[in-house]
Amino acid sequence: MRALNRLFARLRNFITNRRIDRRLQEEIEQHLNFQANENIRAGMAPEEARRQAVLKFGSVQTVREDCHSEEGLPLVEGVLQDLHYALRVLRNSSAFTLVAVVTLALGIGANTTVFSVVDAVLLRPLPYMHPERLVEAESFFDRNSSPSNLSYPDFFDWRAQNHSFEHLVSYHDNSYTLTGVGRAVYVGAQVVSWDLLPMLGLHPAIGRGFTPGEEKRGTRVVLLSHALWQSQFGADKTVLGQTIQLSGETFTVIGVMPANFRFPITAPKTDLWTTLAVDDTPTGDGITNRGMHYLNAMGRLKPGLTVEQADQEMKAITARLAKQYPDTNTTHNSARVESELDAVLGDTKTLIVVILCAVALVLLIACGNIANLLLARVSDRRREIAMRSALGASRVRIIRQLLIESLALSVVGGVTGCALAFLCTPMVLRLIGDSVPRAADAGVNLQVLGFGLTVTLISGLLFGVVPALKASKTDVVPTLKTGGVSNISGRDRMRSTVIVGQVALGIVLSAGAGLLISSFAKLMHQGLGFQPEHLLTFRFETPDYRYKTTREQFYREYFERLRALPGVQSASGTLVLPMSNDNADVTFENPEHPVPAGQRPSADISLISPGYFNTMLVPILKGRDFTDADAPDALQVMIINQAFAEKYFPGEDPIGKKLKPGAGGGRPGGPPMREVVGVVGNIRHSMTQRHERPGYFLPASQLPSWCCMASVVRTSVDPISLEPSVRQLVTSIDKDIPVTDVRTMPELMSLQLSQPRFAMVLLGAFAGLALLLTVVGLYGVMMYSVSRRTREIGVRLALGAQRATVLRMVLRDASLLLASGIVIGLVAWLGFASVLKTMLYGTAERDPLVLAAVCVVVAMTGLLAAWLPALRAAAVEPMQALRVD
Amino acid sequence: MKQKTDVQQGTLALMVLKTLDVLGPLHGYGIARRIEQISGDLLSVNQGTLYPVLLRLEHEGAVASDWGASENNRRARFYRLTREGRRQLQAEVQDWRQTTEIVARFLTVKPESL
Repeated sequence: MRALNRLFARLRNFITNRRIDRRLQEEIEQHLNFQANENIRAGMAPEEARRQAVLKFGSVQTVREDCHSEEGLPLVEGVLQDLHYALRVLRNSSAFTLVAVVTLALGIGANTTVFSVVDAVLLRPLPYMHPERLVEAESFFDRNSSPSNLSYPDFFDWRAQNHSFEHLVSYHDNSYTLTGVGRAVYVGAQVVSWDLLPMLGLHPAIGRGFTPGEEKRGTRVVLLSHALWQSQFGADKTVLGQTIQLSGETFTVIGVMPANFRFPITAPKTDLWTTLAVDDTPTGDGITNRGMHYLNAMGRLKPGLTVEQADQEMKAITARLAKQYPDTNTTHNSARVESELDAVLGDTKTLIVVILCAVALVLLIACGNIANLLLARVSDRRREIAMRSALGASRVRIIRQLLIESLALSVVGGVTGCALAFLCTPMVLRLIGDSVPRAADAGVNLQVLGFGLTVTLISGLLFGVVPALKASKTDVVPTLKTGGVSNISGRDRMRSTVIVGQVALGIVLSAGAGLLISSFAKLMHQGLGFQPEHLLTFRFETPDYRYKTTREQFYREYFERLRALPGVQSASGTLVLPMSNDNADVTFENPEHPVPAGQRPSADISLISPGYFNTMLVPILKGRDFTDADAPDALQVMIINQAFAEKYFPGEDPIGKKLKPGAGGGRPGGPPMREVVGVVGNIRHSMTQRHERPGYFLPASQLPSWCCMASVVRTSVDPISLEPSVRQLVTSIDKDIPVTDVRTMPELMSLQLSQPRFAMVLLGAFAGLALLLTVVGLYGVMMYSVSRRTREIGVRLALGAQRATVLRMVLRDASLLLASGIVIGLVAWLGFASVLKTMLYGTAERDPLVLAAVCVVVAMTGLLAAWLPALRAAAVEPMQALRVD
Repeated sequence: MKQKTDVQQGTLALMVLKTLDVLGPLHGYGIARRIEQISGDLLSVNQGTLYPVLLRLEHEGAVASDWGASENNRRARFYRLTREGRRQLQAEVQDWRQTTEIVARFLTVKPESL
């Protein structure tokens, strides 16, 4: 209570700035008068009486100081005083302050911006209940460890046999055409097990979730996304219990999810969720075929169980299934369980961490620069500091003063940096696009600002502490005597060490950036196997309820009319559109090399319409393209690509060979034997594909039950200008078919490159910044050292040294620093290089050419920065230099 | 500068409180004189040390001060005990008695009485 009273009184004094000094002075004066009078009465002479009174009172100064420390908050006041002084010092050296603040603002701004992404992508928990217990389970083939999806029978066995999960839920994406409510729209859907919501621990905003019975054949129920509910149903609550038409089937709406609900996290645009009953059709085998792998599985661990325990159990179950069903499961004989967040992030985690490290290095370099500037200033301010300590400032006090100066500097830089982060974050997000899951949620929030502040304070201490300690060791007497000018080589060694460290970090960053740039350039200029310019692509569905029997005819007429549109040179269709992240992989039998069913090879498959290769400008190397004559009842045919021919028919002529791809036409008797009628060039299916993949093509006309082909149009005009006419064409054929994903081929390619591009641009920017800061730092150090050595250089020149020799001497000093930094940086890079492996395409992570180029660039810019100080040194006038001091 | 020990500081505060309790409102010099008279030479060298103690007591709410006229009609600052100060005095007197009693007992202990 008393202490509290005292604190309040101090605070009150502090806030009201009340000072009792005058009152105290008056009291003391009165006190002395009383005592003096008393002394006079005791018989002393007036002067002696006064003297004795003063003696008896003791030191007035001490009393005043004691009282002063009793009022107000002396520590805070001291700090404020220091701060006041610091701001004045910083204001008075505005050039230094400006350079330091800009350097820091760039460093802290970049760090805060990157952290805003890290925060959204890596740190935030998944938006589900107890997300730490959510895991993703997948099967894979232990021989090549490439993960694959699950089939329904496998999933059901997993679900029934495991003891690890409270819930295990299958999910896969699907799409429908929603008709009957306004214009027909294309909707993205997820087909899930009934217990999706119990597993996630969430509930619909209105209505109810699925029940176990709703997995039963024939059930058609949906949960709507909040967005779809608003856009298509006007947020009308009576939609509950109503039926809607999805691709011709009738579904009952049972609930609407909350606006922030997202499942899966990687598909934020999902419009609705339905149960796996939709895959259980009377005619299809989607739910019973163990060989059809198209499911993902997510589970909630039972409390107390670890991911490893679940992983072990699922591996055991999967191995057992592989023995039990060798025909279908040989290549899916193992399983992997990992935390859901890890599964969502995948490789991007490495990318984000690499970028975070890179940006931290930039800040480190920035701090190095400021530390060097401060060290130089400390040398210049030694006289002031010596004066202060001569006047009684303790060492702690001087350190505090200098640290407060650094912190003031860092806070100004940090605030500017956070403002910069506000501006930069949206730009970075645009750069990232959809390439990093959850990045779209990033923003500068309190947490991010807190990080910015922490980084600010840490950097303030980082660059402030060494100069402050150095300065506080100033010897008072010699410094005051010489006027503060003397050379202490130790300080220069410190500054040189900082420079070498900066160059090394600069090399590491530039090497990373250089490799990413080289890799990106190779991606951009890789042979695609087709001509992407003037290609327009789009999709629409031809749902079974309308086109089950007439699909082949529909496409034939549609493509005829499409080719007739003005501006269209050629047009065709393909099931798998290159550069769209689509992929399908189907096994095939080779009667010449029979193998057991479970070990059949597989290859990329696509269904195409005639003229596809002509439209894409893919060379037909042998044989022929499909034609309209390849009708359902004609000879069953296929075309293979070059990689396929080389792998499966080495040294043979593949034309006329017979193969049986496991792709049924929905006809009795299973998939037919097909004859190879052509060999075409390889087509890249993805910009980031690392190898040419074997693939084969089947004529869509011979498998009319397969839906649906994307359209590719080669145009003679700007491709996107054809968008209205192709939309109009499709609508004129069937008004209930919405056209989606209208994009040019270069646009698709650019989308696929967004992750490598974002990595390259960010790392490139950071490397550039690092290089700039290093060069500025080197320039500063050299300039300073030259100005310090003016006299020495003067003596050398006076004794007959050539100016060229002086020039070389300075450049040699700089080269030594640069060379040490480059060597250390290179060694460090060789050690860390492998982290970049997954981010590089066609460029080795230790590519000597790129590394050499990086070293040359760093060395050249470094020497350039040393050139000016060297020139200045060479221009020293001996007589003037000697007259200094 | 020699740091005063807490005991001395505390003792001085206690003496100030007791003085004000017995004699009513007093100015600084009066308190100093009074303490000097009773305690001998505790304040004879450093009368000034009284003032930080007074300020601290005032901050703690144990005393209050106002300007007033002294006996010979000079302006002086008078300190008086507040109710909080009286309570504090009681508590401290109690503490002090207890402490001195215990210490005294320890100091008078003889080997044979153990």
